[in-house]
Amino acid sequence: MAVMGKKKSKVSDEVPSSSMADIAFLLLIFFLVTTTFPKDAGLAIVLPEQGEDVQVSQRNILHIVIQPSGIVDVKRGESPQVQQVSPQDIESIWRQDVAANENLIAAVKTHPDAPYRFMVDVLDALHTAGAERISLQILEG
Amino acid sequence: MPIKSGGFSRKSKTSSEVPSSSMADIAFLLLIFFMVSTVFQKDRDRPIEWPEAEATQKIDEKIKNILNIWVERNGDIFINDRPYAMTDVATTIGPLYAASDRALVISIRSDREVRYSTIDLLQQQLVAAGVMRVVFATELEQRMARERR
Repeated sequence: MAVMGKKKSKVSDEVPSSSMADIAFLLLIFFLVTTTFPKDAGLAIVLPEQGEDVQVSQRNILHIVIQPSGIVDVKRGESPQVQQVSPQDIESIWRQDVAANENLIAAVKTHPDAPYRFMVDVLDALHTAGAERISLQILEG
Repeated sequence: MPIKSGGFSRKSKTSSEVPSSSMADIAFLLLIFFMVSTVFQKDRDRPIEWPEAEATQKIDEKIKNILNIWVERNGDIFINDRPYAMTDVATTIGPLYAASDRALVISIRSDREVRYSTIDLLQQQLVAAGVMRVVFATELEQRMARERR
């Protein structure tokens, strides 16, 4: 019975290396899943086909004129009244006007010298308000 | 002295099993091989400042069906890492669009300060090329950031 003390412990004193590959795969899959590729996002529009001219009644047009300073002039149909607002205000204006006239079309006319971002701001507001009939034009004259 | 069992039944010391300890190594080797040999058809990012929009949505299209048109602040146009003149855009995009079976989505990646006349000319070129689906690439704008502005 004195031999008992000499019995070797069966637990190995090495770190088990057989599961190392499993750990590596786990990390790999974790990073594969959590990686996102940014910037494949934006505001989608559908361009008209060439030569496709549609006549729209003035009553159904909401004129949105973007000035180089970023000030937006809003004009409804044939009414000469011009309202000067900021790009962010377009959202509530569209919501109000489309509730009154569901055939409304947003005609966004941008000044040639206006920075692109003001057009994006207006387009953003229209998208946020759920507008789908949008016409992008350049301000002439 | 007789040899036990005729000397033929001696067990071979070589294991009859396929060694499985190196399986992970083989898997990693294949993985690294495919990682290295995969080529992403992606152009390099140009130095632009992105416009921001709250209504930014992910493009629901495969990466190979998205073509980026970069417009730098000074109005230079880049497609697939090569500069193009504005008048050449339609003739460049047209064949690419036809080759993709009209599934191509054009992503306009323009600097926020570009004059709108440049973007309008670009749109005219795209209409001439027969392109239907266009995306103005933007960064997602947080409502909090806007309210602080």
